[in-house]
Amino acid sequence: MREGAEEVIRTEALSKVYREGEVEVRALREVSLGIERGEFTAIAGPSGSGKSTLLNLMGGLDRPSSGSVALAGRSIVAMSGNELSDFRRDRVGFIFQSFNLIPVLTAIENVEYVMLLQGVEASERRRRANEILAEVGLEGLEGRRPPQLSGGQQQRVAVARAIVSRPDIILADEPTANLDSAAGSALLDLMRGLNRSRGTTFVFSTHDRMIMDRARRLMVLKDGRIDRDEVRD
Amino acid sequence: MGLDNPAASSMLMLVRLAWRNIFRCGRRTLLSALAIGLGMAALIFTDAFTIGMEESVIRTATDTFLGQGQIHAEGFRSTYEVERTVRNRETLLAALGRDPQVASFAPRSLTHGMLTSAANVGSVLLCGIDPEREREVSKIDEAIVQGTYLEAGIAGRMLVGSKLAETLEVGLGDRLVVTVAQAESGALAQEMFRIGGIFRFNVRDMDAGVVFVDLSAAQELSGLGAEVHEIALHFDDIAMAGDPELELWRRYGQDGNEILGWKELLPALDAVLEMSSLSMLILSIILFAVVALTIVNTLLMSLYERMFEFGMLRAMGTRPSRLALLILLEVSSLALVSVAVGSVLGLAVTGIFAEYGIDYVGIEMAGVTLRELIYPVAAARQFVIFPLMVLAFALVAGIYPAVLAARVEPVEAMRKGF
Repeated sequence: MREGAEEVIRTEALSKVYREGEVEVRALREVSLGIERGEFTAIAGPSGSGKSTLLNLMGGLDRPSSGSVALAGRSIVAMSGNELSDFRRDRVGFIFQSFNLIPVLTAIENVEYVMLLQGVEASERRRRANEILAEVGLEGLEGRRPPQLSGGQQQRVAVARAIVSRPDIILADEPTANLDSAAGSALLDLMRGLNRSRGTTFVFSTHDRMIMDRARRLMVLKDGRIDRDEVRD
Repeated sequence: MGLDNPAASSMLMLVRLAWRNIFRCGRRTLLSALAIGLGMAALIFTDAFTIGMEESVIRTATDTFLGQGQIHAEGFRSTYEVERTVRNRETLLAALGRDPQVASFAPRSLTHGMLTSAANVGSVLLCGIDPEREREVSKIDEAIVQGTYLEAGIAGRMLVGSKLAETLEVGLGDRLVVTVAQAESGALAQEMFRIGGIFRFNVRDMDAGVVFVDLSAAQELSGLGAEVHEIALHFDDIAMAGDPELELWRRYGQDGNEILGWKELLPALDAVLEMSSLSMLILSIILFAVVALTIVNTLLMSLYERMFEFGMLRAMGTRPSRLALLILLEVSSLALVSVAVGSVLGLAVTGIFAEYGIDYVGIEMAGVTLRELIYPVAAARQFVIFPLMVLAFALVAGIYPAVLAARVEPVEAMRKGF
């Protein structure tokens, strides 16, 4: 840990075992790690190595079989359902591979959704949504619904939605997997820019070589364990 | 609550989301709404038809001859004893004449007797009627198929039912001798009448066993003096005939007299109508259940298709209760669309048949033969209670998919969604 750096996420001996029919699968084996505020981290590894499982556990989408997860110093393992919902709403932003948006809502309504859950007033909500949509390059497309946007534009809306509620961390699960290389690169530029300008912490689960190359920290998982963890300058 | 109120905006967004969601698969929503709407339209029409039929049957039964109510001396209806005449007749008739709730009334004498023609003999009920008053209470004059109705002051004429005329092998102008036992003495008295008219009510008991003569002639023949056996009543509103709370039931049902409404006079018809109402209720419940299941089926299909989306909503921090509320709002939206479709269809079908009528003439119900077209009657309950029932049933049925949605675990849902 760098001196003076604040740790956003800390996992200790995090394990996840689940059953697939009769078979017991050990998806994650006693993973301990820390993510510092402002990091731009990629978690890579082959399919089945536990990347998505780790991301889900860090974001409170799933509960560990053993071990602990703390976000901003607060353990999320023992939280109740509603506590966990509120925690995700206020502390974590998610970007998924696809189907990120609510298809019947416009781009700006999608961005506003989390703020609605947070109880942000309409005028403030609208102001922040417009601002962030402009920042991700979607000015003029606020009233379009997801089917009227390209894949890259949809992912930008997802980024805007994830960042607008000012979470402690954004967890992105294969965000460029369904984009062509140009759109993927542009999206990555956008997220790297936000990471730099706003200090937002990004953690990716990815197969994408481009993300791995541009991440400031690369963690490689193998068989549910951290095989390699390197920080680049 | 203004739009700047976060709770109000949040609810508004949820309503908007629900409304748009049900139109995501427009064809499916339309088909569901049509299926439910058609069912509801059928229910509205059936109810309207039932009301129209009941009104028609009651009107036929009461207007034909029975009247909407009757006053007799206590015990007369079970014995038909000639001596059991209405008590305090004069006072009673005067009171009825002043009563604003009584639209019209007609005094009658009713005596069992024997009717003899040149060819045959038959047992009959000899009804003495006041021709003018009777016009306002019953429809004997409209049932005349040959000859003419009775006229006051013309003695010696008799109206005979069509079946009875066939049995006695008589026609217009033929002579008939009626024999009755007189009041008090019991002595037999005979009188000769000529057939002035033949009537047909299409009610077997009436057409085969009743004859009408002028009231004064019948009173004289039966030795009644000015007394009568029955006073038939016609109220301002037929609903009064079934309202036991009205004061008139106590006012006229005392001092040895009894007053009966059509429900007591025709208990079999009342029972049939009660059964018809019960059938309608059962049909309604079945239909509401079908409606509810159709809505649930539509919502469940939609829910499973959107599993990933539900997982994503949960990931973003949507509480389970909010997802359940979203589903209930979708159920309500679909039910509202369906109810609108059903109400419009139901109103249109009912309106068309209310204009042109449905031909049930000649059909018999609890001894009453319908003599007029049935006109379905639209009622407030069809467009207020029925839609509310559809909504209520849909919401109750919607609890299941709502609970399913609330139980969605984000990771599981997103895995299934793919």
